[in-house]
Amino acid sequence: MQDTIDMAAGLVCGSRLFTIRHEQAGFVAGTQACQQAVLAPADCHGLDTSIRLALAHRIAVLNEDEALARFYAGHLHALAPDGAVLALAAGRSDMADPLAGMARQADLVTMDNAAASERQLVALEAAGLDRPQIVALSELIAFVNYQCRITAGLRLLKA
Amino acid sequence: MLPRIRIRPLQWVPYLEPVRLEDASAAQLEAMKVTPSSTRISPYVRTLAHDPESYRARTELFNAIMYAKDGIPRAERELGALAASVVNGCRYCAMIHGRRLAELMKSDAVITALWHGRPNLLSAREQAIWAFSCALSRTPPAATGAHVSALRRAGLSDGDILDLIHVIAIFGWANRLMHPLGHAVPAGAGS
Repeated sequence: MQDTIDMAAGLVCGSRLFTIRHEQAGFVAGTQACQQAVLAPADCHGLDTSIRLALAHRIAVLNEDEALARFYAGHLHALAPDGAVLALAAGRSDMADPLAGMARQADLVTMDNAAASERQLVALEAAGLDRPQIVALSELIAFVNYQCRITAGLRLLKA
Repeated sequence: MLPRIRIRPLQWVPYLEPVRLEDASAAQLEAMKVTPSSTRISPYVRTLAHDPESYRARTELFNAIMYAKDGIPRAERELGALAASVVNGCRYCAMIHGRRLAELMKSDAVITALWHGRPNLLSAREQAIWAFSCALSRTPPAATGAHVSALRRAGLSDGDILDLIHVIAIFGWANRLMHPLGHAVPAGAGS
């Protein structure tokens, strides 16, 4: 069965590359389990799935991954989010905190991780995020960047 | 000949206060694998245990990728990890994986060449791995078909390349936790 990455990379069930990918069963199952843990966890620490999907969309766009961006946009719109969450998804930063703070952190860690420092964590706490939320946000940002590299690599192997 | 480099040990100190074992929830203790016989848990693990669900899922995936029995050799996994860590500016990860690479290769020739900005001194296969790993780590990912052709010419199968892709990607993940959430200090200097 196709999972998110197969779909985003255009891998058809039974194709050469699909078969190679699914031979690494631990990687495939582990990646899907991580997707669940960062996008729809049992305990969301007050960061609901619409905020998580909006961030995922934003990060996929920064990685120029159109297929993943479409995937996240589709799931986000099905939840009928409010205007501020749509602004977060759209790459804007003029929302109120804590969404604006999360947007800045997602952009920085995605585009220029080396420039991240303690200053941003202080700002996130000032924006109202607690420690579990900051860690959950960090894992989400890092996961979507991971996912975008798997899909980008698979597309090169497919070409 | 290039002057040899020595990598000094660093330790990682979190910016956020880690979970204290005495305050940890059942889910956090389980995620950290705290048992009566293993109560020394690193600050890194205790920081990420603030969100035990993602910690558990990522740790399983990380171990599956880095300790896979098949696929490319351990040293080449470390080379990909080092490339990601350098591009993503994670000093701590670069130190750890640079040292591991030198240990596995029983030589510091590769890290010395890379430190001096001379990847052309690496073998053709190492150069292909290094160039692809650096390019895929950029945002947006900048790896191209030419990088993949070079890997195939160097003898990597598509399964091997997919293995390498997972190493690079999971290290981008680790780098995006380690660097934003803490900093490296000389070993012994941190609290």
